[in-house]
Amino acid sequence: MKKHDQQGLQHNENASSHNHDHDGIDRRGFLKCMAWAGTGALCVMQGGVLKSYALGTSDAYGAKASAGELSFVQISDSHMGFNKPANTDVVGTLKAAVDKINGLKVSPEFMLHTGDISHLSKPEEFDTVDQILKSASAKDVFYVPGEHDVLNDDGKSYLERYAKQSQGAGWYSFDKKGVHFIGLVNVMNLKSGGLGSLGAEQIAWMAKDVQSLKSSTPVVVFAHIPLWTVYPEWGWGTEDSTQALALLKNFGSVTVLNGHIHQIMQKVEGNVTFHTASSTAFPQPAPGKADSPGPMKVPADQLRSVLGITEVHSVKGNHGIAVVDESLAAAVAKSESGGSNY
Amino acid sequence: MRTRVSVVFAALVVSTFGGGSVVPSSSSVAFAAQTASAPVAVKIDNFKFGPEDVTVPVGTTVTWTNRDDIPHTVVSTTGVFKSKVLDTDEKFSFTFTKAGTYDYFCSVHPKMTGKVIVQ
Repeated sequence: MKKHDQQGLQHNENASSHNHDHDGIDRRGFLKCMAWAGTGALCVMQGGVLKSYALGTSDAYGAKASAGELSFVQISDSHMGFNKPANTDVVGTLKAAVDKINGLKVSPEFMLHTGDISHLSKPEEFDTVDQILKSASAKDVFYVPGEHDVLNDDGKSYLERYAKQSQGAGWYSFDKKGVHFIGLVNVMNLKSGGLGSLGAEQIAWMAKDVQSLKSSTPVVVFAHIPLWTVYPEWGWGTEDSTQALALLKNFGSVTVLNGHIHQIMQKVEGNVTFHTASSTAFPQPAPGKADSPGPMKVPADQLRSVLGITEVHSVKGNHGIAVVDESLAAAVAKSESGGSNY
Repeated sequence: MRTRVSVVFAALVVSTFGGGSVVPSSSSVAFAAQTASAPVAVKIDNFKFGPEDVTVPVGTTVTWTNRDDIPHTVVSTTGVFKSKVLDTDEKFSFTFTKAGTYDYFCSVHPKMTGKVIVQ
């Protein structure tokens, strides 16, 4: 990906010159915007055109953010309890993630944790994460479990702690400022040789859940294992996610936020933007670049640059949701890297 | 005649047990002891069971040891056995008392599969 200088942040893109497929998707503009991820820039869809704004400056977007636009953070894969060479201090890196959240120019209203909160489903591991997240500026946290959170008791201790009001194995939905959030569970009842799994009961619940929503409602779906097939050889996908996503085909803006793979990946397919977050604990190799998807050791001074959080912003009336990844590395280093993850 | 037969039998038993203690009792006891004495080890590492397929005689105890830096489980697809979660260096053992083919997988990472064939 080409790097773009800070001047580029103020330009408006001309939709027609990028709309080669004539389907209203400004792909080139989108890719340009994604190259700015991590620099504190923001791409917002306005009337089919991707426009970019610098976050936290006193420009037009800054004003909109305080006038009731929605900002939240996704964190993932904290693996509290992990203590192997890839990261012997997952407490420290989670605290660094909270510091990063507290330092954001646009304060998030709440957080989504896309699972693998703990490493071994132990009570003290969940307790430690709860304690650390208490010092985040965003007090509300919405969780979905990872496979590491439901190891011992079919997820009972996870459910009691994080999903008392949920249905079934812990799925639920809620609304924030006109955006509909759906938390899905795809780590239960996994079948030998298979991928993640939602199950018929959950999909039926989701059908009912979205039935009466207007198609102009932005929808955010969050689940642990990716809801698109990233790399089936490593189990990075969900068997029945197409059934769930089919329920959203008429919605103008769908954003899918996942974790599990401990690296940032993005994909746009029609009305759906897929995004996976970094872990706050340890990175994993890119698909097929290692024997197995286990923890990947990097030089100590690089660890924080491969861990991170994700900011998500919804600009009211613009039909779109913008997703910006921020590594845990210091801000000085960040402006050089430009957030190019491709 | 009978003496020679019993001497031959004793010789057979001695050679089978490599010169260890000879039990001058019924042959069924001697053979049962031999069958149960060979445990089999399966190593879990790099998101794989190694070896993936093992063939063992009835009565064998198979022990899985997790050498990976990530926890795994050992779960039979037919509900015959199920380990608790195994962190690095933890073990799970199961004794197979009936012949058959036992497919299993890691319930945390279901792409990891293995098989124990008991004959």
